[in-house]
Amino acid sequence: MNLNAAAAELENDPQTAAGKTVYVYEGPVRLWHWINVLCIVVLAASGYLIASPLPSTPGEASDHFLMGYIRFAHFAAAYVFTVGFLVRIYWAVVGNSHARQLFMLPVTDMKWWAGLIRELRWYLFLEKQPYKYVGHNPLGHMFMYLFVTVAAVLMICTGFALYSEGMGLGSWQDRLFGWVIPLLGGSQATHSWHHLGMWGIVTFVILHVYAAVREDIMSRQTMISTMISGHRTFRE
Amino acid sequence: MTETFYDVLRRQGISRRSFLKFCSLTATSLGLGSAYAPKIAHAMETKPRTPVIWLEGLECTCCSESFIRSAHPLTKDVILSMLSLDYHVTLMAAAGHQAEKQLEEIKKKYKGNYILAVEGNPPLNEDGMYCIEGGRPFVEILKETAADAKAVIAWGACASYGCVQAAKPNPTRATPIDKVISGKPIIKVPGCPPIAEVMTGVVTYMLTFDRLPELDRQGRPKMFYGQRIHDKCYRRPHFDAGQFVEQWDDDAARKGYCLYKMGCKGPTTYNACSTVRWNDGVSFPIQSGHGCIGCSEDGFWDKGSFYDRVTDIKQFGIEANADKVGGTAAAAAGAGVAVHAALSALKKAKKSESTEKVTGDN
Amino acid sequence: MGAYETQGFKMDNSGKRVVVDPICRIEGHLRVEVNLDKDNVIRNAVSTGTMWRGLEVILKGRDPRDAWAFTERICGVCTGTHALTSVRAVEDALNIKIPENANTIRNIMQLNLQVHDHLVHFYHLHALDWVDIVSSLKADPKRTSELAQSISNWPLSSPGYFRDLQNRLKKFVESGQLGPFANAYWGNPAYKLPPEANLMAVAHYLEALDFQKEIVKIHTIFGGKNPHPNWLVGGVPCAINVHDTGAVGAINMERLNLVKSITDRTKEFVDQVYIPDLLAIASFYKGWLYGGGLSSQSIMSYGDIPQRANDHSTANLLLPRGAIINGDLKKIHEVDLKDPEQIQEFVTHSWYKYSDESKGLHPFDGVTEPNYKPEGPNFKGTRTKIENLDESAKYSWIKAPRWRGHAMEVGCLSRMVLGYLQPKQFPAIKDTIDSVLKQLDIPLTALFSTLGRTAARGIEAQYCADLQVKQLDKLIANIKAGDSATANVEKWDPSTWPKEAKGAGFTEAPRGALGHWIKIKDTKIDNYQCVVPTTWNGSPRDAKGQIGAYEAALMNTPLAKADEPLEILRTIHSFDPCLACSTH
Ligand code: HEM
Ligand code: HEM
Ligand code: NFV
Ligand code: SF4
Ligand code: SF4
Ligand code: F3S
Ligand SMILES: [Mg+2]
Repeated sequence: MNLNAAAAELENDPQTAAGKTVYVYEGPVRLWHWINVLCIVVLAASGYLIASPLPSTPGEASDHFLMGYIRFAHFAAAYVFTVGFLVRIYWAVVGNSHARQLFMLPVTDMKWWAGLIRELRWYLFLEKQPYKYVGHNPLGHMFMYLFVTVAAVLMICTGFALYSEGMGLGSWQDRLFGWVIPLLGGSQATHSWHHLGMWGIVTFVILHVYAAVREDIMSRQTMISTMISGHRTFRE
Repeated sequence: MTETFYDVLRRQGISRRSFLKFCSLTATSLGLGSAYAPKIAHAMETKPRTPVIWLEGLECTCCSESFIRSAHPLTKDVILSMLSLDYHVTLMAAAGHQAEKQLEEIKKKYKGNYILAVEGNPPLNEDGMYCIEGGRPFVEILKETAADAKAVIAWGACASYGCVQAAKPNPTRATPIDKVISGKPIIKVPGCPPIAEVMTGVVTYMLTFDRLPELDRQGRPKMFYGQRIHDKCYRRPHFDAGQFVEQWDDDAARKGYCLYKMGCKGPTTYNACSTVRWNDGVSFPIQSGHGCIGCSEDGFWDKGSFYDRVTDIKQFGIEANADKVGGTAAAAAGAGVAVHAALSALKKAKKSESTEKVTGDN
Repeated sequence: MGAYETQGFKMDNSGKRVVVDPICRIEGHLRVEVNLDKDNVIRNAVSTGTMWRGLEVILKGRDPRDAWAFTERICGVCTGTHALTSVRAVEDALNIKIPENANTIRNIMQLNLQVHDHLVHFYHLHALDWVDIVSSLKADPKRTSELAQSISNWPLSSPGYFRDLQNRLKKFVESGQLGPFANAYWGNPAYKLPPEANLMAVAHYLEALDFQKEIVKIHTIFGGKNPHPNWLVGGVPCAINVHDTGAVGAINMERLNLVKSITDRTKEFVDQVYIPDLLAIASFYKGWLYGGGLSSQSIMSYGDIPQRANDHSTANLLLPRGAIINGDLKKIHEVDLKDPEQIQEFVTHSWYKYSDESKGLHPFDGVTEPNYKPEGPNFKGTRTKIENLDESAKYSWIKAPRWRGHAMEVGCLSRMVLGYLQPKQFPAIKDTIDSVLKQLDIPLTALFSTLGRTAARGIEAQYCADLQVKQLDKLIANIKAGDSATANVEKWDPSTWPKEAKGAGFTEAPRGALGHWIKIKDTKIDNYQCVVPTTWNGSPRDAKGQIGAYEAALMNTPLAKADEPLEILRTIHSFDPCLACSTH
């Protein structure tokens, strides 16, 4: 299939005809999405404060545990984040086809490329309208894959590697993730990459939330309500 | 007549009885069972002091200096009684041809039985001639001497990781010894320098238990490098409480608060400083008010300033740390979103204006 | 270059060429080649630094506040002195004033290094050039005890003590595993001590090995560890808290008491062991006055140990500053590290590249570009197997620094002579030297020798051990007066710095005058140059063919045995070479 044929097929997809409503995101996907949002907010805020702590508290050390609590929040959210991610992977296997999107990029699919180009042109104000999609649009899809799926793996690997340093040699965290530290060039470098990962995710979130709101208003399909109810309705 | 390890112990006032007890303890701790105790005793009674050849490449000799600071055991006893320091350029009496001959003799006489201790590292640029000994590249001498060694100890950051001369741009291509020696067990004892008692501790462990210490993933003895400075730092309660030195010599510094904000690398550094401490336990960097600079970590010279916690990432150039790179990206995204949103709103307004017109015309 | 004359020495490379490589009992990698005439007298001397690490190249582009840690790793033997020089250079460039306590603590640490380094040098790097261990086995412990008690009150001097030691040595020798003492020059006729003196010296070799680790604990207290304590631009990292809560980790009364006990014991060891040993050994070698080299003509010192903080003028220094040239002891020249006419480095005979190698460069404009080239008509061997170097070509990794064009000797002898010549400012130096000369019954000129250098080192150790005690008193007095400040952080933040700045830092390192020059641009190091004591003393020839201090000192020395380089070691060791320092 060449690009033009792919574009034509996308434009005339009967599934996305105006007025139609499709069930896209199953319960577990939606639940995961919003729990994940919460985790990431906590992780980014606490992570930032781990690297650049708040001004000192006066008084006896034994009366305070501020850094301890911040780190605890980070680790607690980290576990929820990790378990959520694992459950989400499980759901990709047993759930519907849209649940699998997050874990693969269809780079061999001409339709995907045609959509990506259209979406880019749409964001550059070169197109009046984007195509309509039952699942993720290709641009969003690509970003989600890179800055959520790949980033989550990076954050979990580096995060648990750092966590293993406190748990000690021989802990399960060390046995599973300890190899990451020498690979990245030591503990300090692992901190740096983990920290940079946070900024990658923050950048994604800014773009992602903007795009979700904008698409909801400007494209021909529902967005935010879809991530709440699971149903997507298409407009003209 | 060669003095054995047993003779040495006896001379130090250890009775035959406690010697045998020591042997059976050794046997059980090695998991061999008490039947092996007589064998160990026999080995100790007949074994000559283990010969050690100590080579120095590109380095600053502070590993040797640190070694002679050992308080328990005393360096004097290590040298006179525990091992035989048969070649050590900084301490040995002979020089020139006589020194070279000594090296050759030990290599031949104790083939496969000597320990090679290496301080510093070989440079590989200019055919190795940034470090010349006896008119030849040090790297050749290192390889030849390693070939017949029983085991190799890499002293300090230089031998283990390259240290300061390997910092960017590493003009001499100074190279850690495990990159040029193969087929030999190598024990890395990093630090710039390592703690004296850690150095003698590693050596005496090998002599006492007649085996190599257990190593971690990076080839360091677990017993001394298994934990971070931060894990056992006595200022840790202040870290957990969120109490930091904010500026040199501020009130918090005088009260001994945590040095994290002064760039302390204790949270990312594996060493025994906060437990064994330095110079017979007198202090260690943090106790004396300066953060840990991470001197036992691979490439610590190129991990950003010693005074930053969020350090530079060299892939992004000299002055870029995670907050700068990431913060810039996030800010750019934010600004981009704002502009894009404004343009979108404008476009939408125009569009609805034109549709309105159409409807109005109707 | 065949035969020629320079600095009063007749250089003649026609005789038998003898190579000593490695030179042991020094820091780093040094090679010496000499030509002997038919009477085994040295008529040509060539000293070669055989290592280079590239620190000046590595420092470019880094944070000036980190530079102390990099430069400190130039050397672990003179540990800390490069760090101090570095923070001084940065503070000079940025015009940072340090608190009085910081200055005093730095002084204590620097003096501490002097004493430690000198002591370790004397016993562990130098003594075996004068002391025959094997001969000590023949000593009578009772007579050794008498000898020891006649020269000092040191308590460890009973016949039983020396007998036990001798037995331990015998066992050691009989074991057949001589360790670091194997294959040396025992029995060489150049050894002059009777067996009893040898045994006493060996005993003190071991005692000094035990004791030296105590001395450095002062670095550990103020800098957290030794070797390589920590330093800080703007002051010192250890805060002072003697009155208040939470004082663990700051300098408190317990820490001050520990410093006090160490400074006192150090002084005791120097007074009761080092100095008596030095005098005892020297008295047997009074006739061996070779090795003066440049010391009677050209000596230099930058000075150190500022009494008041931030005043680096000559009059405020407790170690002398100045230069003497052409042997004119009456005229002490002012030394200025920033004057482009004074200090210049040449690379005509060094393995580096300049655009014009007939000229020297002042360190502010210094260039460090390696250029390994073993060559010349008399060069023998290959690129990677050097048999003989040719001093008419490039032959060393050490640059050749010159002061107003003169090759200079730096170090303890230079400092002590400059102190002696200024008795008003340095009465203690003059008194000690006079008393040593009197006890040994030798003239002042005898100081200009290998033995004189070794004696000057001991005298200086004693002077510094005394000063250390006094500086501690000063620290306590200042704290008592209510001043606890240890760091000035006004210019800690690089955003407060000018766009461009340059400065020079100096110290008197154990081996001599040490300078660092820094240029800062946009808060980063733009150029960093070190000219180090062993760069001066171990210098190769310059554009004019002038020889360096090692080379000069070896000249005209007879060897007892051509195949045993004992006398070469003796003279080279008297400078306490540090090759890691020299080339950095
Ligand atoms: C979205 C995911 C995450 C974000 C945004 C995030 C962010 C951060 C940041 C910014 C830091 C400070 C790094 C520095 O020192 O410069 C940090 C530290 C850390 N994070 Fe995360 N993190 C995430 C996930 C995780 C996970 C899954 C774990 C696994 C347990 C984890 C464990 C840690 C640990 C152990 C530290 C070091 C704490 C310390 O040094 O005291 N993180 N994180
Ligand atoms: C930390 C913040 C967030 C992260 C990491 C995040 C991540 C994701 C991911 C990974 C997906 C794909 C879900 C899947 O395929 O399973 C997704 C979809 C979605 N998210 Fe978020 N999200 C965040 C915040 C938000 C917020 C605040 C909103 C609402 C304003 C939002 C609206 C949506 C919508 C509408 C979709 C569906 C997009 C589509 O149908 O193509 N997200 N998000
Ligand atoms: N030369 C030299 Fe040093 C000294 N003293 C330093 O500046 O030894 Ni390593
Ligand atoms: S590891 Fe550090 S301390 Fe040891 S020799 Fe190398 S530079 Fe010196
Ligand atoms: S001073 Fe350093 S090692 Fe100690 S608790 Fe603070 S950050 Fe950790
Ligand atoms: S700097 Fe080095 S000495 Fe210990 S506290 Fe840090 S590892
Ligand atoms: Mg230089």
